[in-house]
Amino acid sequence: MSHPSSAEVVIVGTGVVGAVMAEQLLDAGISVLMLEAGPRVSRGEVVETFRNLPLGIKGNASSSYPPRPWAPHPMPRTGNPDEDYLQLSGPDEYAQTYIRYAGGSTWHWAGTCWRLTPEDMRLNSLYGVGRDWVFDYDTLDPYYNMAEYALGICGPSDPDLQWPRRARSRPYPMPHLPFSPGEEKFTRVVSEALGYTNLPVAQARNSGTPYDGRPACCANNNCVPVCPIGAKYDAATALARLESKGAVILSNAVVHRIETGENNRIQAVHYLDPQKTSHRVTGKHFVIACNGIETPKLLLMSADERNPTGIANRSDQVGRNMMDHPQIGLTLTLEEPYWLGRGPVVNSGIMETSQGDFRSEHAGAYFRMNNFARNRYVTFDALRTGKVGQALDEEIRRRTACTVNLVAAHEILPDANNRLTLSDRKDWLGLPKPHIHYDVGDYTRRSARDYSMPIARRIASAMGAVEVKEPKGFAQSKHLMGGTIMGNDPSDSVVDSWCRSHDHDNLFLPGGGAMPSTACGNSTLTMVALAFRAAEALVNQARGASA
Amino acid sequence: MSLSVNNAFSARGVSRRRVLRNTLALAGSFCLASPHLAWAAPEIDGALNERFMRLSGLLVNHQLDEEVGRKMAIHAARHFKQLETLIDELLATAEGRKARRVEAFFDDVPEGPARELAYWIIAAWYSGSSDSSPEATLFTYERALTYQTTLDMTPIPSFGLSAPNGWQIASAPLDALPDF
Repeated sequence: MSHPSSAEVVIVGTGVVGAVMAEQLLDAGISVLMLEAGPRVSRGEVVETFRNLPLGIKGNASSSYPPRPWAPHPMPRTGNPDEDYLQLSGPDEYAQTYIRYAGGSTWHWAGTCWRLTPEDMRLNSLYGVGRDWVFDYDTLDPYYNMAEYALGICGPSDPDLQWPRRARSRPYPMPHLPFSPGEEKFTRVVSEALGYTNLPVAQARNSGTPYDGRPACCANNNCVPVCPIGAKYDAATALARLESKGAVILSNAVVHRIETGENNRIQAVHYLDPQKTSHRVTGKHFVIACNGIETPKLLLMSADERNPTGIANRSDQVGRNMMDHPQIGLTLTLEEPYWLGRGPVVNSGIMETSQGDFRSEHAGAYFRMNNFARNRYVTFDALRTGKVGQALDEEIRRRTACTVNLVAAHEILPDANNRLTLSDRKDWLGLPKPHIHYDVGDYTRRSARDYSMPIARRIASAMGAVEVKEPKGFAQSKHLMGGTIMGNDPSDSVVDSWCRSHDHDNLFLPGGGAMPSTACGNSTLTMVALAFRAAEALVNQARGASA
Repeated sequence: MSLSVNNAFSARGVSRRRVLRNTLALAGSFCLASPHLAWAAPEIDGALNERFMRLSGLLVNHQLDEEVGRKMAIHAARHFKQLETLIDELLATAEGRKARRVEAFFDDVPEGPARELAYWIIAAWYSGSSDSSPEATLFTYERALTYQTTLDMTPIPSFGLSAPNGWQIASAPLDALPDF
């Protein structure tokens, strides 16, 4: 079998960031080769895998994507470091979920597409904490627009329901999805009792109409782990189009080394196939977009004589500042039914609680009532009551209708001690597993103690909760950020404002890793906006113009 | 916390919960080495299958799919010692009360292996799985009875509920159980 060995631009990773970059380059007439560590599968295969999972594991998004031996990704943790892929330490576990499949983790994302606010990008200037972005919101705005039209975002046309609350320079391509009666009730309750506005989520899901060759959402309520009809954008839906434009996409190709050459430019990457044979691919420009964990891991694995601490790592910031949106999910039992599960799995949220001068003291938080159908979460508990017959039917129905999951997602500050390094433990190919040390920090903990949980309890009370289960500690939101952080100073950041490595002028590292602040909303839309911006710079660079 | 209230379960309920928990855990431990869908290979004696279904119909008073029941019976035959004896015991209890519904005889089933089997059969029909563990055997997804209890209001995930943007039908009352 012949292996493609060269392209003008080599992109490592086929997730949403790599796919968006590839399309911009192809449209500019630039050849693209994409390398994907994992397999390429059909939507039908993923759906069947999901349907054939036992009920007790259906809530785990990764279980519908069994990892290939050569491309391991995090699965439900066993506690055995030889079995677990992520090696974790620290006060809080960075136990993230992502998949190494062609199309990346947008296969199982919810599709939520919040923008940052102008204030979210100026934490240090406004509140004296964290880092500022190196450009302002108005600079990012046109790239947000591109991202929203590329992914097909539905969102409200009423300015009072938009986020951030400022005039949009371009309307959303589709109207927002309707609320179910339960979401309408929640919206009414938090408004009347607490004065909050529950906003329609801007989301990458087709609202009432086909878009980009994909059908309208029909309430399969299975956005996570997979939309069975492709109404939600996932990068897998873009791969065939990229190929029709000339992209070469190679799956089951695990890039394990980045090779530098004259002037410390990147000149090749090396990948292993499932037979453990290594292949070399050359290019003029390189994009590493394999997510916020795999990208810094690959950079660190590629240390050479010119770059003894790793590629792009003269600042020693690669793998540092690992961030997420630490979340706390409360399970409420309510007096009255809310009947969640109709429509997409996330359809609304309270964002105003993420903003304010309090951010000098503690993190903001975003609240949402998840809209997953509740059967899978309540069935075994209902069975354990020992009821039978009609009483059991009524118990399941009551628990499905009257329980909700209320989530507070927090922002977190960049901290160099939250760090990804290479573990001594190896994967199937003999490559080091990633090790992450993580502590959400006092800024976030103070928010949970003094701010977000008191608000959550007030929301629960307003909803008529008769029981509130509040977990100890934080869970992860699976929003990987920070490991290749952006800045103007090459001594304390990895990439410049175009997501280009400070150390290698033909290496781009777009995506969540570049984000200097997290805010509270999901990161994907900002990652994609950064991809559009990086693509613009790369196209200019490839054509000989300066970005 | 102040909003929490304890569920006031009866002593009988507590006992039932304990038995069911033990049953699910026991079945789970049997299943650890079993791949999903491991029921597919062997057959089961027709008479035993018929009695399993008859018992299922007494324990779960809904429309039950024969093929799903056959998978459960195969699994039960592997994991419950003296399955036939236990089925006969339960059938005798039900028939002794001339029961047509589970409520008419279940309280007369003594604690022990027969009651554990009864709970397991009920749980299997409702969950579609052999137990609550990640390694459980799947008997059915879309025919699991848990989804039928709410089918008027919530989708079976991955099966569409409505036409585009058409999920705003008024909420149904809790006591309006679908007929299934």
